[in-house]
Amino acid sequence: MTTPAWASGVCAGIHAAGSRDVVYVPDNPLSHVLRELDARFRDIRLLLATREEEAFGIAAGLYLGGRLPTVMLQSSGLGNSLNALTSLLLPYEIPVLAVVSMRGDAGEWNAAQVPMGRAVRAIFDAIGVPHATVESADSAGETVRIAGTTAFGTRRMGACLLPRRVTTGSQTGSDPVAPS
Amino acid sequence: MTRLEATRVIVGLAGDAPIVASLGHPAYDLFAAGDRPGNFYTWGSMGLASSIGLGLALARPDIRVFVLDGDGSLLMNLGSLATIGLLRPANLVLVVMDNEEYATTGGQKTPTAHGADLDAAARAMGVPRTATVRTAAELGDVARPDQEGAAVIIAKVRESAPTAKPPLDGVFIKQRFMSALGNPESATSGTVL
Repeated sequence: MTTPAWASGVCAGIHAAGSRDVVYVPDNPLSHVLRELDARFRDIRLLLATREEEAFGIAAGLYLGGRLPTVMLQSSGLGNSLNALTSLLLPYEIPVLAVVSMRGDAGEWNAAQVPMGRAVRAIFDAIGVPHATVESADSAGETVRIAGTTAFGTRRMGACLLPRRVTTGSQTGSDPVAPS
Repeated sequence: MTRLEATRVIVGLAGDAPIVASLGHPAYDLFAAGDRPGNFYTWGSMGLASSIGLGLALARPDIRVFVLDGDGSLLMNLGSLATIGLLRPANLVLVVMDNEEYATTGGQKTPTAHGADLDAAARAMGVPRTATVRTAAELGDVARPDQEGAAVIIAKVRESAPTAKPPLDGVFIKQRFMSALGNPESATSGTVL
């Protein structure tokens, strides 16, 4: 299977940011990233977690041990993670690069994904987590790399969002993110 | 044994090894048993002490990592047992201070008071070494640092009122901890131009 350009870019960006540990809860688009990391980035360790909050806890421990961790999750998992972010990563200034595969944005078919999908950026803003959005396959690598180096350099977690229009090419359906 | 007595056993055998403590009474007792730079006190993120310890154990396979968790806390993140059973870092020792109550919030009973068995849960998830202990001597024996293999130890303890509280500043706790481990945060060291 050919790796989509956006997924190759995400892998390169994670690597270029110096991260060699990726803790993840799987997601359909992220499966491309996981396969590519496994095939071509053998110096990056992949660690499966049972829940996103746990993933951020493991990532915090990795950082305390001198590593620069990445957490990959679907946007729905942000809801599972908030206590880890607000009572551990942020007050202790433990930096993690969060790579977030978006659901509930343009092209979504599942209404259950829409409320959190709409809220992701507002939640990150409310708790003070900077976030960047990958706008195209070509810019994925740079966007992820800069989000990572900024997070690790300033010791503040940062998030990089992967919209469905980039990960699935889906522009169909109503746009639940558009203002009504 | 009281939780403080159990905590003293772990501090006594840990040497320079890091100890990660769950928020509330486990962290308070760790401070009372002996404040040291290698103590990581959490002040929130209930349930994540075992995950923090797991990440640290994976990052630093050269050192032993102790975690002092609570029964209520571990019940909040039971998936952690599956991940520990999956990854099995040989240097991780998770000690669950099981007082069968949410002592920090007023003593409400936890499911372990009604038979929930965290030792069996850890075994069922593939954790290679598990034990349930009721005395300081038993705890000291199963937590001895010369034994290899990821361990989950359920220490049945009596609640004992905490006598102290650790430092509050998370950044201070983190920076002191990372320096003690020999991987200081780069921002805490100067740079030669």
